[in-house]
Order: sequence, then C-alpha cells, then structure tokens
Amino acid sequence: MPPITCSDIHSNMMRSKRWAFVLLALIIGIGIGLIYGWVIDPVEFYDLTPDTLRADYKADYVLMVAEAYRLEQDPALAAQRLAIFGAQSPSSIAAEGLNYARANGFSDADIALIQELVIAMQSWSGIFP
Amino acid sequence: MKQFPWDILLALLAGLGLGLVYSWLISPVRVYDSEPAALRADFKDQYRTVIAAAYAATGNLPRAQARLSLLKDPNPIEALNAQAQRTLASGGSLTQADQLAALALALQTGTNLLPVSTPHIENTEPSSPTFPPTFTPIPTDVFFTPSETPEIIETPSPEPVINIPTPRPTRTPVPTVGAPFALIAQDTLCDPNLPDGLLQVMVFGANRRQLPGVKIIITWETGEEQFFTGLKPELGNGYADFLMRPDTIYTVQLAAGSDIAANLVAPSCQSPSGETFLGSIKLTFQQP
Repeated sequence: MPPITCSDIHSNMMRSKRWAFVLLALIIGIGIGLIYGWVIDPVEFYDLTPDTLRADYKADYVLMVAEAYRLEQDPALAAQRLAIFGAQSPSSIAAEGLNYARANGFSDADIALIQELVIAMQSWSGIFP
Repeated sequence: MKQFPWDILLALLAGLGLGLVYSWLISPVRVYDSEPAALRADFKDQYRTVIAAAYAATGNLPRAQARLSLLKDPNPIEALNAQAQRTLASGGSLTQADQLAALALALQTGTNLLPVSTPHIENTEPSSPTFPPTFTPIPTDVFFTPSETPEIIETPSPEPVINIPTPRPTRTPVPTVGAPFALIAQDTLCDPNLPDGLLQVMVFGANRRQLPGVKIIITWETGEEQFFTGLKPELGNGYADFLMRPDTIYTVQLAAGSDIAANLVAPSCQSPSGETFLGSIKLTFQQP
C-alpha cells in the first residue's frame, strides 16, 4: 500500500470541494428554473373550462341564467346552461351562486331571481326535452 | 492557467432545465379564479348566449355591456353578429340567434330596444360589490320555500329604521318601441343578371352605416319567414335577400320596429331580347 502523501490529501479535498460547487450550481439552477417557470414566465392558460372561473363570475353567470329563466320559464334550458360548470348538479350550482350573492351584497331583486332559479332546479325532473 | 469550470456551468444549466421542466410541465401554476376572457371559444359562445338571453329578459343594456366586456372581444358587436350567423347556419335555435342579434343591434345603436324589467343594478361589475345588503339575509334553507318569490323580512330593531325597503321589481308591460326604422326607398329593378324575384333589403343606422344582424320578417298569405342582415357580408353588412315566388303578395317589416312595406309582388320585366322574367325589389330602411 503506497503511503498517503500531502499531495493526495490536498487533491482529495479539492475534488470534494469541486463536487460541492457542482451540487450548489445544480441547486441554484433548479431554483432559477422554478422561479422563471412559476413566477417570471409561468405557463399561459387559455381555452379554459368554466369551472375555473372566479366565484364572482360564476355567481354572475348563475344570475344571468336566473334572469333568462324568469322570462323563459324553461327549467331544462336553465339546467343546460348551468351544466357548463361540469359535474355538479344544476341545483347545487345555482345554490352556490345564491350563497355567494347573499354573502356579497347582491341586490334583493337579484337574490330573489337566483332563489327562484334554485327552487326551479330543485324541482326540475332532470330530463332534457 | 486556471481551467474554466465547465462542470459547474453544466450543473447550473442542468439544474435550470430540471427547474423549468418541473415548473412548466410537471407542476405548472394551477389555474383557478380565471376570467371569462380565458375561456375556450365554445364556452365563450355559451357565455355570450346567456348574456343575450339575460338581456332579452331584463332589457338592461349597461349590465349586458359590462358582462360582454369580460370576454374581451376586440369587437363585441361583431362577435355577437358572427355568433348569431353561426347559430343560424348550424341550424341552431332561432330564438338564440334572435337574442344575440338583438343585443348586437342594441349595442350598435346605443339604444335599448327592449323593456327594462329589473331595477337598476348598483354595481355592473360582478366582482367585489360595494353595497352591503339592506335587509336581513333570507334564510339559507330555501328547499321548502313555498313561494317562488319569497318575502324579504326586515330585521326587527328597536332603533329607527334606516333602511328604506326597495320596491319589488314588477314586470310592468312597457309600450313597444315605435318605428325606429323608416322605409326610405322602395325600388323595382329589372336586371336579368339578378335571380328571379329577388327581394333585397338594406338596413342602415342613423349614422348611415349598414347594420348587420337585423331581423326581417316577411309574411305572405300562407306563411311567414324571418331572415337577417349581414349573412352575405360580401354584399354589405346591412344586406339581406329573399326569393319571392310569382303572384304572391308579401309584406316586409323589421322585427325591431319599422315602417311596413306592404303589397310587394315580384315585378314582371322584359329583357332586351324580349324574354319575360321576374324582376327584383329593393327596400331600404334607415333609422331616422
């Protein structure tokens, strides 16, 4: 077994130091990549589905359906319009809109309209013509 | 001479790549609280349809405008007209097309052509309403509410009442809008190059610009048909046509209200070669 010289020890230390720098560079690189990808230039989303809409837009949509329902009195059409939000039942979508409207100071007339829609959706048979 | 630290640079780049792969592909920023403008085109169409239906029900043009602005269409009127035409072309609901066209027309003319049946809304922007409710909230449980229009109960309070109850909205019939479009010209054309019995209708706004999406109602003894301007944009946004049958008397009117062009019969014309053919009639409507 050859004797360990001072030169060998120095060389080993240099090598580990180098690896530490490489590891540090890798971590810094990942960090920069994440910041760039999440903050500076995040993935741009378009062609979204309505279930991603902000709660106030959802509530306003429910209100629109309620306004139209008041005139049309067609629960199947109203349900079809509410179905845009996906898997939830039309009555629960309308009820969510009603809760939002109550909690956020919608006018009484608007609340009454949504309430009418909720009742219609609850009593609707669920059969589209 | 000191060696360039390629390994460190390589590690930095590899890390950057890994970071981007993770942040763009594996775990991109989650989407929630999106705006209507980011919706897929078919959902935007649905949104527009519901806006138009709500407008048809309430006649509230500022609210419809505020809602349409959420979609950030470069030209909302064009978007509505185009959708109305697509709906008709695909054999969709005539009512929907009509509502879309009516909203487009109302936006174009800047006048509300429908009766307003709901009270003024304080905040047209749907987000962050500023006015708190003036009444005690209606009980959450509406599942067994017997009435379709529940009564609003004021909070019993020993203090003087500071909230004045707003009258309930009533659907009072509003007189129909008068005749915003006048029949300014009715011409008979004997042009053998035109299809036989062609009825041409041109509709102009008050600013003399052609109006697309205007519904025209044509009636005759045994039937009625509706058609819209703007379906042949190459002939003008305010252009529409209809083929008249021989020996049939037609009456034409714009659905939004107009003078009535009555007793229209395809004229009999003669070509230079002596041949007889059915001529055309051209009607021009304009808002005064």
